[in-house]
Amino acid sequence: MQKNKINVEPYLYLLPSLFILVSLLLFPLLWNIYVSTHDVSILTILKKWDFVGLKNFYDLFSDPKFYESLKLTLFFVVGSVSAQFGIGLLLAVLLNQQIKGTHVLRTLLIIPWSVSTVITAFSFKFMYDDNYGIINYVLESIGLDAVGWLSDPNIAIWSIVLANIWYGTPFTILFLTAGLHSISPHLYEAAIIDGATKIKRFFFITIPLLRQFIITNLILITVWSINFFDLQLIMTGGGPLFSTTTTSLYMYREAFEFGSFSGGATIGILLIVMNLLLTFVYVKIFNRKTSDQNEK
Amino acid sequence: MKNSYRNNIKQVLSDKWLIYSIIFTYIFITLIPLVWVFSTSLKPNDLAISLPPEFLPSEPTIENYVFVITEPRLVQSLINSLLVSLGSTVLSVAISALGGYSFARFKFKGKNLLLSIILGFFMIPIVINIIPLYLMLSEIGLLNSIFSLIITFQILIIPLNIFLLKNYFETIPRELEEAALVDGCSRFGILRRIILPLSTPGLAIASVLAFRFSWNEFLLPIVLANRPDSLVFQLALYQFISIYRIEWGYLTAGINIALIPIVILMLLFQKQLVHGLTASSLKG
Amino acid sequence: MNGNRFNQPLKKYYSDINIVCLYVFSIFLLSIFSIFSPYVLPEVVSQEETIILTAIVAEPKERWDLLFENALEELNKKYTDKKISVDYSVLPYSDTRTQIVTTLAGRSDLDLVSIDQIWLGEFAEAGFLTDLTDRIKLWNKSSDWYENNWQGGIYDNQVKGIWAWTDVRALWYWKDLLNQSELSPDQLKTWNGYWDSFVKLSKNLDKKIQPIHLTSANHVPDMWYPYLWMLGGDILEMKDNHPSKGSYWFPVYNSEAGIKALEFLKNQTEIGIKPQINHFWGQEFADKKFAVMLEGSWLLGQFPRDQWPDLEKKIGLIPMFPVPDNKTKTSTLMGGWLLGIPETSKHKDLAWELITIMLEPKILVPMLLEQGYLPTQKSIAEGNYSKELASTIPYYDELISLIPYGKGRPNIPEYPQIADHIRMAIEEVYHGADPKQALDQAAENSMYVLGWR
Repeated sequence: MQKNKINVEPYLYLLPSLFILVSLLLFPLLWNIYVSTHDVSILTILKKWDFVGLKNFYDLFSDPKFYESLKLTLFFVVGSVSAQFGIGLLLAVLLNQQIKGTHVLRTLLIIPWSVSTVITAFSFKFMYDDNYGIINYVLESIGLDAVGWLSDPNIAIWSIVLANIWYGTPFTILFLTAGLHSISPHLYEAAIIDGATKIKRFFFITIPLLRQFIITNLILITVWSINFFDLQLIMTGGGPLFSTTTTSLYMYREAFEFGSFSGGATIGILLIVMNLLLTFVYVKIFNRKTSDQNEK
Repeated sequence: MKNSYRNNIKQVLSDKWLIYSIIFTYIFITLIPLVWVFSTSLKPNDLAISLPPEFLPSEPTIENYVFVITEPRLVQSLINSLLVSLGSTVLSVAISALGGYSFARFKFKGKNLLLSIILGFFMIPIVINIIPLYLMLSEIGLLNSIFSLIITFQILIIPLNIFLLKNYFETIPRELEEAALVDGCSRFGILRRIILPLSTPGLAIASVLAFRFSWNEFLLPIVLANRPDSLVFQLALYQFISIYRIEWGYLTAGINIALIPIVILMLLFQKQLVHGLTASSLKG
Repeated sequence: MNGNRFNQPLKKYYSDINIVCLYVFSIFLLSIFSIFSPYVLPEVVSQEETIILTAIVAEPKERWDLLFENALEELNKKYTDKKISVDYSVLPYSDTRTQIVTTLAGRSDLDLVSIDQIWLGEFAEAGFLTDLTDRIKLWNKSSDWYENNWQGGIYDNQVKGIWAWTDVRALWYWKDLLNQSELSPDQLKTWNGYWDSFVKLSKNLDKKIQPIHLTSANHVPDMWYPYLWMLGGDILEMKDNHPSKGSYWFPVYNSEAGIKALEFLKNQTEIGIKPQINHFWGQEFADKKFAVMLEGSWLLGQFPRDQWPDLEKKIGLIPMFPVPDNKTKTSTLMGGWLLGIPETSKHKDLAWELITIMLEPKILVPMLLEQGYLPTQKSIAEGNYSKELASTIPYYDELISLIPYGKGRPNIPEYPQIADHIRMAIEEVYHGADPKQALDQAAENSMYVLGWR
């Protein structure tokens, strides 16, 4: 008899979140889809918007710069996510040990992420500079050659990846710390009694119990890396020779520097699709892993 | 027996030092730029940035801090930022806890769909939302107000916190709730009395995340709220970064002041980081 | 069982969560209140009508503080029954543009904007700006403007903005460093001499000081145009037989003049001058990291004001860009800001009056003196105020003498994209590409953007 009644409770709990998200984001999403199928630029935004169908998408797919930016995005994302996750996991676990002063250390560790992106970008731009930069100064004073961190097209993107790692790792540390605190110490104690080494405890207790947190974390930092462009914008503006123009930066420049709102919207929609695909891939991989483990 | 003895000595000798050295190396590397930021804030504003960088200012002065604290526009923006960030934190944690609980515990129709929708919204790059958001909010008349900033920042934070808290709530053993359900407690009561108290680490981290995102956001305020009575601190700091010169002294002082609330928050909230709250209550 | 286990910690958490609920509720109430209070609270009736004009202007802030303060004082003296103030938002360059574009695309009220010369065409074509032509006629001061500067504010035969102040780019050098290398500044005036100077300076200067500055930052086209212009070339030209517009602008910067100009830059890199990707707007010259630098007149602002009286002893100015030979006339690029009134303004007359006051010499000159900007009005540049300007701003006369040789950038809507094509071409040449190929490729891209392809 109760099975026929729909339980409204779960929906009620979700109502505030969904209400805010939908009311703020639905219209922009629809607006962007509409804009991407019309010709909307700074010149036409107050006037008539011509319908162009999928022309914007077609133009984008035949634009070699778009593919170049996708390649750069790949470098940026792979570099950032792997390092952020690896270092973040390591530090979160280390800080989870029975050592003194973890509160203070954790606070110090999240400071890079607590500074806004503008400041981070300016500081790194400065440090990487050929004339004012401390990095080259140190290199030269120990006899090595100066490096064109932001002026060499082959290196520039990696310099920005480095800045992104510096900036973004604290988030993973925080997020995984929350996860680590959900694991009861008793589980570890039981394992120690059984004679498990640190490594074994890590792989057989910590990682499996952190699984959900890890998946969520990877999704979040991947999406952020794909959508992020503040560092690139301020540190190099996309150069030298387009070598730091990730797809997200390309989108920003199209919309706000060249006044092509349809261009920006088109790329934005493609970014959303990219994000969704990657998330799908992540979830599939991790779900497969569990079923493998379960079979064991 | 022999093995475990040897292991113990190894552990005692190497573990702690290894851990500390890794952590300290990382902290050292990451904080060097900020040490420079701090020392620059103690130098007079007119001194050009020099190379080699002076890590210890020759004539330390707090005039930069005094300037930043006494500039009315900056102080106003500091207050605005605090109001927005605190409001946004409380709001987001409250509604994310509700949402996260719903996803963690209930089985309902469209659960995966709604989860994907929230995730999908999260994936939208902010850049393409700027203009339509502006159009929307200016129609309603919600521009340039602290309230609108609080609400708007939620789009950055809610997906994040819902997922964090969903993950956290899922680690709490169902047996606890079942026992309470049997005793006649309502779902909401369970949430309030059992789940939330046991999730203080998750809630603490969610609060820190929410605060940080609200505190550091500047792209949305540029467009949505830049009149003096709704100016946020990060934007106010912009007045020191002009295309022709950067007022390093004032800027670095401002950066350091901007760090203070987050640092305080982190230190306070870490008290909530207690291990294994979820399972320990199962004992006994 | 439940009672024993949960009571003690429960009370504490219970009260915590209650506090949180209270907090959420009160913030909710506060915000409802803040939305509705304008409708609920009684209107405060004042003696005078308060008018607040809104403006979006670009950094740096001090110049606007001074201008608005002084201009408002004048304006309020005239209207004793009103209290007029300006609520202006000051942001960095690109954020100012983002904000202006978003605000005007959203059709919100806005009374005054600062417009970069390269935005004028876009904003005018978009319908963002008010046509000031009739007001200009009544005002009758337009003849006071230098022709090039006045033209910069005209689009499609309508006056959409007024060029308020300008700057020029010229050659700066440190006197002691040139002396130390036994180099006469005259050597820097020709292309050949420029190279020879570099060789001499590299031999004699400290390793830490670079002889000559060459920019590779995002605005590098601005530092290339003077060479293009002095050789007789131009960026764009009107051409007939456009596919849809009859006649429209056509890229001609890949002409012989353009190629030669770009080759000069390429040769600089080949003899060892390093292109600088970061730009600090003269700070690097003030910090003596370079002995010679082509930079805008804003460089003066990088030196503290108290050093200005003696500045001419320390640094030298050659008011020109190096020329290929002594017969060629030099050229330079003029920058600066225009003032305009958005179409959405509800106080156009008042905003216009404010602008006219801001442009009055007695209001504008103090700001020019403080910031080291150059005037666009003949009466200021050559009239009574010129003495004051000349005695305060180092090398004022030399800088002013450069204005007739100066040109502005095109103010057509597509300019930002064309500038990007040119920038890419220059960057590619710095990295070894052939100037003709790079420029031809850029011109292809520009033709596409301008609708020729």
